Amino acid sequence: MREKATTLYLGPQHPGITGNMMIKLKVEGDTVVKAETHVGYLHRGFEKLMERRNWLQSFTIVCRICVPEPDPNELNYSRAVEEIEGREVPERAQWIRTMMMELSRMATYLLWFGGQNGSAGLYTMPQWSVGDRDYILDLFEELTGGRVYHMYIWPGGVRRDLPEGFTDRVLQTMDYLEKRLKQYDELMFANTVFQKRAQGVGWIDPAKAIEWGVVGPPLRAAGFKSDVRIDDPYLKYDELDFEVPTQTSSDVWGRALVRRAEFEQSISMVRQCIEKMPKGEVYNKIPNPMKWTVPAGDAYVKAESARGEFGYYVVSDGSNKPRRVHVKGPAYVHGVTLLENLLVGANIADVSFIMNSLGTCPPEIER
Amino acid sequence: MTDNKLEKEQKVVKHLEETFQNLTGKVVRERRVTVAVEKELIPSVLSYAKNQLGYIHFSHMSCVDWIEDEHFELVYILWSPEDKVQLLIKTLINRENPEIDNVDMIWRQANTYEREIREMYGIQFKGLVGREEFILEDWEGMPPMRRDFDTAEYIKEAYFGRPGREDAGNVREEIVKRSGEEIPDFAKKYSRD
Amino acid sequence: MAFFDIKGLVTPFTALKQFGKAPHTVTFPQKQKETAERYRGLHYNDLEKCIGCGNCSTICMNEAIDMIHVEGVEGGKGDSGLRPRVDNGRCCWCALCVEVCPTGSLNLTKDYIYVTPDADAFLWTPGVSNPDGKDDISFHSDVDTSLGMYNRVPMPELDGQERVKSFAEVMLYYSEEEARYEATRCISCGLCTEVCPDHMHIPEYINAIAQGNDEDAIRIIYDNNPLGELCGKVCTRRCEDVCAMQVRGDAVAIRWLKEYAVSRAETSDIIREIVNPEIKEPNGYKVGIIGAGPAGLTAGYYLALKGFDVTIYEANSHAGGMTMYGIPKYRLPIESLDKQIDYMKSIGVKIQFNTTVGKDITFDEIYKKHDAVFVGVGFQKPYRLGIEGEDAKGAFPAVNMLFDVNNGKTPDIGDKVVVIGGGNVAIDGARVSRRLGAEVTIMYRRRVQDMPADWEEIEGAEHEGVVIMPQTIPVEIITDDNNKVTGIKYLKAEMVDDGKGGRPRPVPIEGSETIMEVTSVIGAIGQEADYSFFTEEAMKQIEINRGRMVVDENQMTGMKGVFAGGDAVNRTADAISAIADGYRACKAIEKFLIKDIKD
Repeated sequence: MREKATTLYLGPQHPGITGNMMIKLKVEGDTVVKAETHVGYLHRGFEKLMERRNWLQSFTIVCRICVPEPDPNELNYSRAVEEIEGREVPERAQWIRTMMMELSRMATYLLWFGGQNGSAGLYTMPQWSVGDRDYILDLFEELTGGRVYHMYIWPGGVRRDLPEGFTDRVLQTMDYLEKRLKQYDELMFANTVFQKRAQGVGWIDPAKAIEWGVVGPPLRAAGFKSDVRIDDPYLKYDELDFEVPTQTSSDVWGRALVRRAEFEQSISMVRQCIEKMPKGEVYNKIPNPMKWTVPAGDAYVKAESARGEFGYYVVSDGSNKPRRVHVKGPAYVHGVTLLENLLVGANIADVSFIMNSLGTCPPEIER
Repeated sequence: MTDNKLEKEQKVVKHLEETFQNLTGKVVRERRVTVAVEKELIPSVLSYAKNQLGYIHFSHMSCVDWIEDEHFELVYILWSPEDKVQLLIKTLINRENPEIDNVDMIWRQANTYEREIREMYGIQFKGLVGREEFILEDWEGMPPMRRDFDTAEYIKEAYFGRPGREDAGNVREEIVKRSGEEIPDFAKKYSRD
Repeated sequence: MAFFDIKGLVTPFTALKQFGKAPHTVTFPQKQKETAERYRGLHYNDLEKCIGCGNCSTICMNEAIDMIHVEGVEGGKGDSGLRPRVDNGRCCWCALCVEVCPTGSLNLTKDYIYVTPDADAFLWTPGVSNPDGKDDISFHSDVDTSLGMYNRVPMPELDGQERVKSFAEVMLYYSEEEARYEATRCISCGLCTEVCPDHMHIPEYINAIAQGNDEDAIRIIYDNNPLGELCGKVCTRRCEDVCAMQVRGDAVAIRWLKEYAVSRAETSDIIREIVNPEIKEPNGYKVGIIGAGPAGLTAGYYLALKGFDVTIYEANSHAGGMTMYGIPKYRLPIESLDKQIDYMKSIGVKIQFNTTVGKDITFDEIYKKHDAVFVGVGFQKPYRLGIEGEDAKGAFPAVNMLFDVNNGKTPDIGDKVVVIGGGNVAIDGARVSRRLGAEVTIMYRRRVQDMPADWEEIEGAEHEGVVIMPQTIPVEIITDDNNKVTGIKYLKAEMVDDGKGGRPRPVPIEGSETIMEVTSVIGAIGQEADYSFFTEEAMKQIEINRGRMVVDENQMTGMKGVFAGGDAVNRTADAISAIADGYRACKAIEKFLIKDIKD
């Protein structure tokens, strides 16, 4: 017997995801038959704002585009401007940037651990992982002066050099997080309840995955060894020794395993960065910011953020203000067309579970 | 191996230039190729790139408003996981009556990009099906990402400022008051704003 | 795995062992976490170090910073008098304001808690709202990390030993690339315009150069200075002493950028084409100017543009005054001066050369023939040294020698020259003597750091091999039977504190007489004006105080319709002050004659 269809509005506040997004669900019983994503709660108009601010002032805006992971934004903006202008970045700055990116990836994964489990009901994990994330945020505070919005990576290098004893504290934090991973394993990954909830849920057809624009951990969980760090290398990733883990189940469980494996890889990469970092300058100074012009041109740069391929398309018209900065976060595809298709046939209880496993981050959908 | 590093990129340019007329291509650097083509050929070029050349990943689609040249520039950014090359396909659309074919039958996620560009720039995509509102809600004005939309004006009309900052001074004016300097009008555009 | 996965059900309970552990959170507010050394908290501004340049307000991308008047802070030389105030509702604490502060006075502190029940109290004046903030400074910017461009582009110049062989221009001046780079250093605060006697529109023309619009720069310079290239080569550059960048680095090369801009116009015709001034119709009024020095030329130029009929009476055969006959060619080539003066003549300024007022024409005639008179005669008479033997052959004032050299003559100074004095004229005399082949020594009563000459000139002289003897007081010139100079007797002096907090005085050391063999003694201890051309009637009305004519703020003397300016009036005695006097006099003459002009 078919039940009557009801329309449910899920969101904009709901457990698990970082940001506000509403999904209009049409459900029959507790099965979703149609899903429609409504975004717009977080539109701050950054791209329009950047048209009236000069190149240096714009860099302070970009980190706010993605709330859980601001660093790929700063990195991509700086790399795009450097590519258009042809500005060299000193070696040490490249290594510091690499280390920042990996630390940021770890911080985002810790937040994701919290979100994923929050939407499953396992509330101990968020308490743990958000608390552990604070250690990484302490490192950021020491290095950049801010915990979440760093405004540290700017065109030409990074803003300040590492403080005294910073590398020791980073290594201590890495050791601590490695130990914690074992406890996360016992609580979450060995947990049969979580396994049963996650396996078989939110399955993406591997044959269509790339065509549908899936990137990041969901794509790797579908069996593709696809990672911007090895496909289109940037920073110092071609000098680091790391693996790109993949799974084949292409469901929420596979994605959780991929992220867990990458977390370990990140710890190892941070340790390598500290070992290999040379001494030297950290900044190739720009001229007077009010008069600094970038020659005409455009560039598309991408980075591997914790959620997937993060792209920046920057166009310069030769003046001292950007002509166009267009940000493409992974959630742009994951949160709209992909989600609308995946949710069909899913259980209401799994809606935010699936959303979280895709790494949906509404601020980057609408900037 | 003495062949150049840009072999794959040059092959793509050659392929596309030979297959389509009025298409010009350039290898920008390693892993970046740009081609420019007329807007009528966009669906064919995109299909060809996806099906024949292996550019199956639709990375991004963007629009730039060149108001002084009176056209919009649409950029489709594709990626080939096999060759590891990023292909940027650019086309120009007239600003007076902007319209171009919809391509979401080639990649379904293009639907979202096109909806946003339609909302933000006012470009009509022929055959596009999708809710009118994407990011903005109850927006009656001009498509806001266009260059002639003045955000400063909009703010003055839509919001009221918090009082308390009326006594803001201007350093140059303060100095000019004291010294009696008279800055000529044609020089004022070089003063700091 | 089987449906009943016992291990999978039980393992998560290992989390319970966390109960025994201490929490890693901090019981705020009893305990506070230590804030990082670089934390970006609320702003603190050192109100004394801050010069009110407004750069923080310009860079703030949220428009959160206003420049306001703060109690207890007065503006003045090198300080605009305004201080920043932050709107905490808009500030995002990006610290760009700290990175661009040229003096390093604006910093961020570790303080991040700001709680108040008053919803309108979101305005925060750093330094005033937190006077103790200086103990808490965390995010700061020193010269290496700051975004200011603190190093000036070095100026290429001819090698010291080589350049004494000729009168070729010493400074090679900026190329286009160097000038554009130097111009981008300027932060456009405008503090320099206040101390420039002429209030030139400095940030405007520097920005025009930075943007590549040299022609606009020339027009801006010519708005109130018709001798821009002259100033660009020899100005005393008081602007650079208060430049915001010199607080922690090198001042912007304002003078050399001016030279760069005007020298882009290579001939006077090109200047005419670029400046293309509006020349008003003749208004029927006649103005007479005595002296074609910078003061007279400036007054004449602007008066001619306003439609006045201007005649300048110049005693010498060439215009320029001290800039023509006092400044040596290696500092200011005659072609450069001629180009600027030719342009002024082309717009209608008439100059009568070889006309000495008092001899070839009387002051009375000029006063009656013209509706207003401007006197810019300068200080032409050199002071006497006041020592025995100074009338001998081979002892003469530097001013006379420079006059002769610039007129094309080569005076016979022998091969050992001593110059007495420490000002720019003395240095000019010394360096010219080097170029005439002599070994030169400068004798100055006080220490080198007390010398009033430009340090750039002193350095240039030392590179050219001039020997400077400080704390040296000459007492007698030794001559032979033909009354020709053979030597000079001098005493060494020691500096004695005058006890009243003023400059230490040189006191001759008893018994330290020494005689140095020299072939010429050149005196350069100052000049005074020659007012003998004034009629008795005029002298009754024009007040002379300590050798200078007294004028009101409109450059008018006690005699109605007689204006004055230049070295004979102002105390700073440099070209730019003279130009400023001429410009002000022009405006005053216009108001004086054309009664219904509004302001």
